[in-house]
This record gives sequence, C-alpha cells and structure tokens, in this order.
Amino acid sequence: MVGLSLGEKHFIQGGIAHDLRCDGRKRLTYRPILVETGVIPQANGSARVRMGATDVIASIKAELGKPSLLQPDKGKVSIYIDCSSTAEPAFEGRGGDELAAELSNALQDCLLGGKSGAGAGVDLSSLIVVEGKICWDLYIDGLVVSSDGNLLDALGAAIKAALCNTGIPRVQVAAGASNDEQPEVDVSDEEFLQFDTSGVPVIVTLTKIGRHYIVDATSEEESQMNSAVSISVNRQGHICGITKRGGVGLDPSIILDMISVAKHVSEQLMNKLDSEIASAEAEDES
Amino acid sequence: MRGIQLPLSQTQKVRLQKTLEQLESLSSKVNSDASVIIADSIPVNHEDGVLKGHGTADLNGEVVATVCGVVERVNKLVYVRALRSRYKPEVGDIVIGRVAEVAQKRWRLDINFNQDAVLMLSSMNMPDGVQRRRTALDELNMRCIFEENDVVCAEVRGFQHDGLHLQARSRKYGKLNRGQLLTVPPYLVKRQKQHFHHLEEFGVDLILGCNGFIWVGEHIEAKDDMVEDQVSQSDPPVLLHNSASLEEQEKNYTILEIRKYICRAANAVRVLSILGFNVTLEIIKGIIDLSLSMNLDIHEMLGSEFCVLVAEKEAERRSSNKKKR
Repeated sequence: MVGLSLGEKHFIQGGIAHDLRCDGRKRLTYRPILVETGVIPQANGSARVRMGATDVIASIKAELGKPSLLQPDKGKVSIYIDCSSTAEPAFEGRGGDELAAELSNALQDCLLGGKSGAGAGVDLSSLIVVEGKICWDLYIDGLVVSSDGNLLDALGAAIKAALCNTGIPRVQVAAGASNDEQPEVDVSDEEFLQFDTSGVPVIVTLTKIGRHYIVDATSEEESQMNSAVSISVNRQGHICGITKRGGVGLDPSIILDMISVAKHVSEQLMNKLDSEIASAEAEDES
Repeated sequence: MRGIQLPLSQTQKVRLQKTLEQLESLSSKVNSDASVIIADSIPVNHEDGVLKGHGTADLNGEVVATVCGVVERVNKLVYVRALRSRYKPEVGDIVIGRVAEVAQKRWRLDINFNQDAVLMLSSMNMPDGVQRRRTALDELNMRCIFEENDVVCAEVRGFQHDGLHLQARSRKYGKLNRGQLLTVPPYLVKRQKQHFHHLEEFGVDLILGCNGFIWVGEHIEAKDDMVEDQVSQSDPPVLLHNSASLEEQEKNYTILEIRKYICRAANAVRVLSILGFNVTLEIIKGIIDLSLSMNLDIHEMLGSEFCVLVAEKEAERRSSNKKKR
C-alpha cells in the first residue's frame, strides 16, 4: 500500500463526511461480493470470496483425532490465516505474520465462541465420533491472495461459505471394541454429512474515519481510520464477538450505536451472502 | 473470458460473450502477422545478420518469441513489444507519478516504470514563476513544493545517464490536489494530442497519464503567475497555522455536486479498466452520459449489468464508426 498525498486524504475524509465515498458508495454500502465454492478439490470444503480487489480463499480439512481430556464430548476447530506475499510487498518474508496472527485471533474470537466452545458458530459436539476416543479435527485455513481492505469480513464470509461447502465423511465404528483400546473405524468415501451452518455468524467491520463510520473500507480508506470495530452477528441478531483495532479510543455510546448499526447491516449481508453461497453451490454442482 | 471477473448471470454471460465476439470481428486484421505469442517463430533474414532484442530467444537456429506481443524491427534489431507490461516511457509523454523520495536537488517519482523517474529541481518552474538559478535555500525548501507521496503530473524529458528524467516547465504540470488517482493497465491509455481534459459541464478535471495513472479531480483554474504569486505567499502560513480548522475547511472544499461527478467519472474509468477497453475522453463521456440517462446510482456503475451494457454500447459505437469509413 503506497502512501497518499494530503489532497487525497482530505478527499477521502470529505467523501465520508458527505456520505459519498471515492467509488460512489454510501457509508453503509458493500462492494459487490463474489463467492465461489469448491475451489480446492483436495479439501473437504473450500470457498473463494472476492469483494472488489480483496480476494481470499478459505479451505477446510477434516481429520480424525483424539478429543482433549477436558472436553471428551467435543471436536476441535482451529483457524490459521496466511497472508500471501502476492497480496502486498510488505507481506514478504515474515512481514505478513503479524497481520496473519491478528486476523487468526480475531476470527477465533468471532467464530469459535468461548473457551468451553459454547456459542460457537460450528457445533463442536457434532464433530464427535466416539466420545472420549475419536473426533473430527477441523483445520480452517485462510489465504489472503489480494488485499484491498476489509480482510476480516471477507475471511469470515469465506469461512462461512467453505463450511456450507464442507462434507464430512460418514464414519462407521466397528462394534465390540473394549473400553480402553482405540476402536477401529471405517471412513466412507461416498457418504458425506453436511454441516449445520445456520449458526455461523457474519462479521461486520465498522471503520471509523473522522466522525463517521463505514463498512467494507478499501485499503485507502483503512489508512485513514482512527479505529475499527469488528462485530460478529449471527442469524438471530445476537452478537457473537467484538474486536477492536486501531489506537484511538471510542466513546461507549458510539460503540453501542455501532452495534445497532452492525446488527442492521449484518441482516442484509447475511441474506446477500446466503443467496451468493446458494448460487455458487448450484454452479459447483452443475 | 479474457480474465474479466464479474458476477454474471447466465443471460449477461451470453450477452457479454456475443459482444466480445462482435468486437473481435471488428478489430483490424492488418498487422495480425506481426503479433506473436510465446514460441512463435519470427521470420528473419539470417544473411543480413540479426540482433536479437527483448522478448526473443534462439531455438534450433530459429528466432522465437518469449512473450506475447508485436514484432518490431529496427535495422538489424528484432524485438517483441509485449502487450502487457509495465509502462515504457517515450519522450514527450504526459505522466502522473507519486513522489517516492526527496533527494539532492531532485524528486524521485514512481511512475510504474522499471525504475523511478527523476524530476530535477532545475527542470521545473518555481512557484514564484521567476526564472533564476536554484539556490541552496531552494534546495532546503523542496518539501514545500512536493512532499513524499504527493501526486505530481509531469512530462517525460528523456533518458540521461542516471535514469529517466521528467520536466514540469508549465503551469499545467505540478501537484494534483482534491481528487482521486486511479491506476489502469498502461496499455489502455493511448498517446493522444490532448491528455488534460476539463469536463466543463461537470466541473471535473481529467488527466490521462500515459503510464496508466489517471487523475480525476475538481477543476482548478490555471491561475495567472502574478495571482499565483500572492496566493503562494499567503498559503504556507495558513498550512502551519491550525491543522484542525484547516481540516474542517478542506472537507467542505469539494462540494457534493462536483464530488458526485468526480466519482461518476472515476467509476467510468474503472468500468473501462474492468472490461479492458481503451480509456479516452470520448468513451468516458459516453459512459457518464449513459449512467446519467439511466439514472443509476454511482456505485451501481460497477455492477455487472452496467458493465455488460457498456460493452454493448462500445461494440455499437465501433461498428457505426466502421460503417462511416
């Protein structure tokens, strides 16, 4: 991301104050969202989401593993994000690691719920095969291919689409195994189980520039931000997680205001995303 | 479909396909044997001796192309001009650059070329308009003229021993303020008589840099030297005065009416860049008028329906142009 001159900065700020951003959008308008599913054949589920010039890929790999001792009735989900150096020269070498870690943490907060796994977007108890013995480990990997702002929302959308696309093989457990040895399993390569993805939230990032806040900021706009609040909202309109970036503090009343705006925006985004995912799935099938 | 990435419905896909085929049939086939793709052999006369240039290689005694492009011949030299590449400057080109560095007596500008271009302090008019030797004081005050990251318009002067040199010896060149910079692939901007455009009906300035940088901004009257003198003298103290009040002032500068047209013109350029059509004043105006007549919201101009419509209009225009000839 190259720097901006003073004139351009003022133009961007003025545009947001006038409710007419550089590409003609209003403050709460998204760029066109393009969803493709099933882009990686080896993965259990994958999706690619593009919002303007932002381009991200999410893939989901399911592996059989052992549940942790503390939660023998739950599977495990982990999220890793990688920022490709093709997205920006600054990501070369170790440059993207910091941002990648920040994004992974934010997504974990927004999608995976608390420590106990309660309130998670993915129902962890649906991942269990044999309680205490075998469960599915979901590895969610995100890749930022091209970056033009609003990475967190795009990654959230890509993971949601990838989860809709995911098929977990049906597992037959051999009966009659004794209690302390590992039971034998037979993984079907024909029958797949779909996830219940209705609980997966969408993430809405409100970027505050000047006195106003906007959704779906481009990288130029992000360079002018004071602070950004990412709010994940599920279908019921419940808040699943909030993270804040940027150094400038926010008045609590503004945060409450942002939450109500995010709730409103998330409804539209959720509907838009669901229809995009449905049409992408239909295309994938054909 | 030539890498056009748009969320298209089935009917839109068919329409775009049809339009692109129509455009292809309209394109002239005159130089078709001069254009090569990778591994095409280039016919040369070996008896005269051949100098292999850029984008060519020797394969079993044959000269083959290593890039897609057009074969160019200069005496013995044979090279391939790549279709998609970085900007290749030519003397007299009008370019827009971003200041990358302020150095000794010069600014280094990023102009999307293989190397940064150099704008010497001595090859531009001073803000006070007086012709004189540049003093050490002028050198110290270079940041008052252009700072890092400023967007600057200039003309290509030529290659010197230390790189590509630019010049800005006229009122029309210089710093660009209050607007937005767009980048399109450089091959979409063809060299024309006029690169500075003032869209009077909209109050918008449009500068088509040959390097694919396009400036869309509020129209600034080219001021008289004398007036400029007074303004530049009164300006700097204000700049230092109070940044908060200045910010409020600046925000109110570009009024909403003009801003709407700036965004509309910018989106017209974006549509052309998505579709891969040449960027010229005539076509941009056409798109703006089309969007106005359809009463479209500005951000809807980037939607797939409008893009397909623009492609169809362009095919129509080209075919009618062809008939006239």
